[in-house]
Parts: sequence; structure tokens; C-alpha cells
Amino acid sequence: MMFKLILCSLAVFLGRLAALLCRLAGREATSLPGYIALKVYPGLLGQLARGLSPVIIVTGTNGKTTTSNLLARLLAAQGRQVVSNGEGANMPAGVATALLKGARGKGHGPAAVLEVDEGSLGIVLRQVSAHLVVVTNLLRDQLDRYHELDQLASSIKGALAQVPEARLLLNADDPLVASLGGDGREVIYYSLERTPLSRTRPADVLEGHLCPSCRVPLAYTYYHYGHLGSYRCPHCGWARPEGAFRGEDFHREEDGFSLDFVFNDGRIRLTSPLPGVYNAYNVLAAGSAGMLLGVEPSVIREVVKDFRPGRGRVEGFRLAGKEGVLVLVKNPVGMAEALRTVAGNRPAAYVVAINDLAADGRDVSWLWDVDLEPLLKSPYARIICSGLRAWDMAVCLKYSGVSLEALRVIPDLEAALREAVEEPVDYLIILSTYTNLALCRRLLKGMGAQSEAAYMPPVSRPA
Amino acid sequence: MKLHICHLYPDLLNLYGDRGNLLVLYRRARWRGIAVEITGVSLGDPLDPKLYDLFFLGGGPDQEQGVAAGDLLTKGPWLREAVEEGAAVLAICGGYQLVGRYYRTAGGDILPGLGLLPVYTEAGNSRLKGNIAVRSPCLDDPRPVVGFENHGGRTFIEAEGSGEPLGYVVFGFGNNGSDGTEGCICGKVIGTYLHGPLLAKNPHLADYVLSLALKRRYRGVVLPPLEDELEWKANEAFLRRFGRGVGERENKKGVTLARSAAG
Repeated sequence: MMFKLILCSLAVFLGRLAALLCRLAGREATSLPGYIALKVYPGLLGQLARGLSPVIIVTGTNGKTTTSNLLARLLAAQGRQVVSNGEGANMPAGVATALLKGARGKGHGPAAVLEVDEGSLGIVLRQVSAHLVVVTNLLRDQLDRYHELDQLASSIKGALAQVPEARLLLNADDPLVASLGGDGREVIYYSLERTPLSRTRPADVLEGHLCPSCRVPLAYTYYHYGHLGSYRCPHCGWARPEGAFRGEDFHREEDGFSLDFVFNDGRIRLTSPLPGVYNAYNVLAAGSAGMLLGVEPSVIREVVKDFRPGRGRVEGFRLAGKEGVLVLVKNPVGMAEALRTVAGNRPAAYVVAINDLAADGRDVSWLWDVDLEPLLKSPYARIICSGLRAWDMAVCLKYSGVSLEALRVIPDLEAALREAVEEPVDYLIILSTYTNLALCRRLLKGMGAQSEAAYMPPVSRPA
Repeated sequence: MKLHICHLYPDLLNLYGDRGNLLVLYRRARWRGIAVEITGVSLGDPLDPKLYDLFFLGGGPDQEQGVAAGDLLTKGPWLREAVEEGAAVLAICGGYQLVGRYYRTAGGDILPGLGLLPVYTEAGNSRLKGNIAVRSPCLDDPRPVVGFENHGGRTFIEAEGSGEPLGYVVFGFGNNGSDGTEGCICGKVIGTYLHGPLLAKNPHLADYVLSLALKRRYRGVVLPPLEDELEWKANEAFLRRFGRGVGERENKKGVTLARSAAG
């Protein structure tokens, strides 16, 4: 016991020391301090989380970072102190780093909003007793890591069984996520009703669209994207659960979207500057969680109106008089949604930087599952393929119908970016997998890019 | 000239960019002035054995594959008839297992397959996954066939059957990780674990499949060569990176970069 206590204190001390050293060296530390501390004392997560209440965990394939950042913002605006790993470092080391910064002993401490990688959920929940777990969606992603969605869903089920007291907030529109409920605990659903962008036929390659009990394909009245939509099993009648929180009357606006946020006894109109239907889901998830935790609807309206994640999936910048966006792409549905959002009617130069390291997914065949229609229809002036798998991307684009004159392959990222800036268009679209993203940012900054979305510091930190 | 392709279970067996194979076949036929019609055939749909020159089966997640397997057995007689009359079959990953004789689960249950290929598959303890290159004696062009594999099953070619390996492993696992073979070809039926998708970086194999399919209706078809610079560059870049240890150094450098950036 004594030994454990000493180890634990040592772990916290070393972790905080590492954080301090990183800060002194001018680096952001989002994982290293937690990594060191967990090496010293693996049971540290549970210790650190003890003083935090409530603990909210956000998991799922896409939308974790934006949802948890917005939720942390909502709680802070309601006057709560919040600890959060808002930088997207969502493996156990990242979670520990956030907790090291925030946790201060026992008693009524701050709230914690933790984004947790869907594959790490079991490890985190074994130690941290969450009060609310939010699951955004389960889409095909990194098949070499989590090779099948059904297995991922059952491993999440197993992880959730470790926290039987926790309430679940689930996306009703995703049948795999919706099927996580039904183990007797309190489950709350949120959903998005039909929008002008809804489709009656799927645009993306489908997975997870079988009835969880009958194993027959579900019948959809409409799809938002991927297998998200309104569904019913033609065999047993199992259908999309009714959302306690619903998004209705969605409209795409000049800048972002607006929708009616509908809850038990009310409805408010929310406007958001964030693009795309996937961000409507992020706003719904965070808004619903906020309501469950006592955030006032008026606070939600005010915060959502101005909320732009500093490092969300779409980052705006200006460079050499041109407008640019840098977008993280990591799976077929995410990349298709990103293209639907950024590829418009303006002639653009693209850089598509594809890597295949562990964090990107080693198998790049997912590129061929992306619905490239929005790109193919847009007036692209040039598409430059870059990264370790530049040639794979180029072959995929060639067969998708991109003209060879517009296509270039420049594996070196810096050379690719310089080439793109030279193009006689005023719109740059840079799509990058995870391990190229930080390098993209650094190179763009070095070339003189000015960030458009003001960088937001992490939400309130307890003194 | 017109090529009729049947895509079996496009809504269920669609993992790992498999639909890209159809796109590659479609374009390579169209670029040579050959018309192509691709028809999706799924659960409960009838299948006309006279209509198609090529049947394509991809891989799927366990659940979906199980659903497709049950239905596929009911289509078995039609498919066998089509193959006897000269249709070609390309089956990948899960599809490869389904056209074999059987799959033996970890619990010892035998799940029957179509038997179009003289192979059988047994459940393994670990998944065999990673980049792979094989040399295929079927192809006149000696350059390796490259792709990515990710399978739990171990597949074996029956010793006394008439099946030959589609290729011999240069690096990677192949059929079972032990005998150095990859895939199987028997007449005009091809099964393989490679995706990436399979035909994207392997134009020689793509044209081989195309010519097998065209043979059903047209004699002596010679496919004129295409401009395949990008495809071969992708093939070469793959071999440079994963074939000679070059990839490992690149990996390490890349990971360090990513780590330091994430803090």
C-alpha cells in the first residue's frame, strides 16, 4: 500500500516535471507526460480521476475531438471548471496527460471531458468510473487495427459493462451505436431528422447496416452519410430509437448551418459556423450532453454560435493571397464528408498527402472506398498526390476519372505544397492523413501561412 | 465487343476497397473500346448463368460474410454451370474462402463452400496481415503482384486437385504463412487474399483477368497495351519501400516526426 502510494506520487511528479520541461522547451505536451507517468504507475488513471466529477467520456470513430471540445466549452460557460484532453490525444497517455494537468486531490473537483480512442476505451474504463459515456458513430476506419466494426462494437460493449452506473448518450442514427443500449441501464439517444442533403440511396460503401439480432439488411427511409440515417429491420421491426434530443429543420447556411435543437419541453434554433452534416452531429452530441449536465439552452445557443475548434478537421488559412483549408482525412466516410464540405465551385489546387504509418492505418485500400464524386465534379485545376503512398492515391484518382494533365505525384510534402501555391488559382485544399498533419502545419507556417480560425487555448484550467 | 460482369453481394462483401477492382476492369476495357456492363446481384436475387463473363466476389466482415455464404450456396448450381460454360471468377479474401471447398471454424464446424476451387480454409489463431508481394507464373510479365493481406483463415491447396497457386510469396504471408503459396487458380477461377485493391497496382494481372473473361464470348482477343506509367510507378514504389528494408527506415523516421509533433 505504502509502496503504491509512493509510486503514484512519483508518477505524478515525473509526469508534471515532463510537462514543465516540454513547456520550457516550447513544445506542447499532449502525450509524453502521461506516457512517462503511466510507465511508472499503470494504475494512475483511476487515482487521478478520483477527484473529478462528473467524468464524461466521448468515444466513436469520427467527431470525438470537436464534440468533446464543444462540451468542455459548454460546461465552462456554465461556470464549471473543466479538465479536458482537447488536443485530440486520446490514447491512455493523452488522457493521463490531461488529468495530470487538472486533477488536484480529493473533494469536489472539476468536471472532466475526455475524448477516448474507441480501441482504448476498455483500458480507460477499467480505471476511470465515468458518469456519462457519449458514443458518436462507428464507421469503417483503420481496418488493420480494428478489422471489423462488429468486433469493435462488441469490445465497446464489454468496456461499457465495466461502468454499469454510467449513463449512455448514443447516436440513434447509427444502428451499431444504437445497439449498444439495451443492457438495462439509462440510455439517452440523439438523432438528426431528414435534411435537404439526405439521400434515399447510400453514397458511401456500407458496413454496419445489418439488424443486430436478425442479421438481415436494414431498410432505410433516408441516409445522412455512411450507415447513419433512419432505419428499420424489415424482419423484426427493430428501428431507430426515438431521440430524446433531436436536430430538426437543418439548413445549410452561407457559413455553417442552422437547426432546431429539440428536447423534452422545448426547442431552440442553433446556428453554427462549422461546415457539414457531420458537425450537426457534433453539435447535437455536445448539446445533448450539456443539457444532461445542466447547461442552460441559452448558454448552448450562445456557445455554439461562435464555436470554432482551433484544430478541428477543417483548418482555414491564408497564404500568398490565397485562401486555403487543411483537412484531416482518415477514413472513407470522413474523407467523403470533408470533400462534400470543402470542394465547391471555385477552381482549386489540391494536395492529397497520404501516409500509411500505424496511426494512419497501414492498409491504404480504403482510398478506393471514398466517394470522390464531390471532387470529380468540382473545377479542380491541379491535384498533387504526396506522402508515402502518393502513387497509390494517384492510381486511385486516375481510375476515378481525374484527367492525367491535372494529376501530379510529388511524394515530398514540402515540394508538393510549394508546387500547389504556384498554381494560378486562389483556393488551396490540402487533405492529409494523421501523420502528415503536423508536418503540413509546420511547413505551411514556414511558408508564411496565417491561420484563419483563431487558435483557442484549451478550456479553463483549475489554478 | 461487350463484357458482362456480375458483382456478387456488392452490399455485403465490400471491405478493403474491393469495388476498386471493378473500376480498374471497367476502365481498362473502356480504354480499349470494349463496352462493359456491371450488374449487382445480392441476397435472394436470381442469377442467369448464361449472361455473365466474369463473376466478382469481394471480402466482407464476419457477419456479412456469413449472410452472403448462406445465400451463395443456393446460387451454387448456377455459378457452377456458368463456370463450366467458360465464365471466369475473381474472388478476394472472404470471397476466396467462399469459393473453396469448406471453412473449418475454430470450434471445428465445417462450413461448406462452393467448391469452385480445390482449396480449404481453417481458422487460425492470429491474423496474417501486412504488405505482400508474390510472383505469379500465370503472367507473362515477370514483375511481382503487390497488395495488402489481412486474414484469419489459413488456406491450403488440395494436393491431388487441379489447382495451382496464383503466385509464390516474395514477402508477406500468402495462403497460410507456411507453404509459400498465395491464392489459387483453377481453369478460369481465381482466388486470392490480396487487396489494395488487387488490380490497382498490378496492370498485368488486371489484363490477364480481362482476357480470361473476354475469352468466354470472343476468340483470339489481343488486348493492346495501355499507358500504365502511374500503375507501374506505384508497383515499384511499393517494392522499393517494403521489399528491401528501405520501408523500415522510412517508417522509423516518419514515426519520430509524428511523435515529436504530437508532443
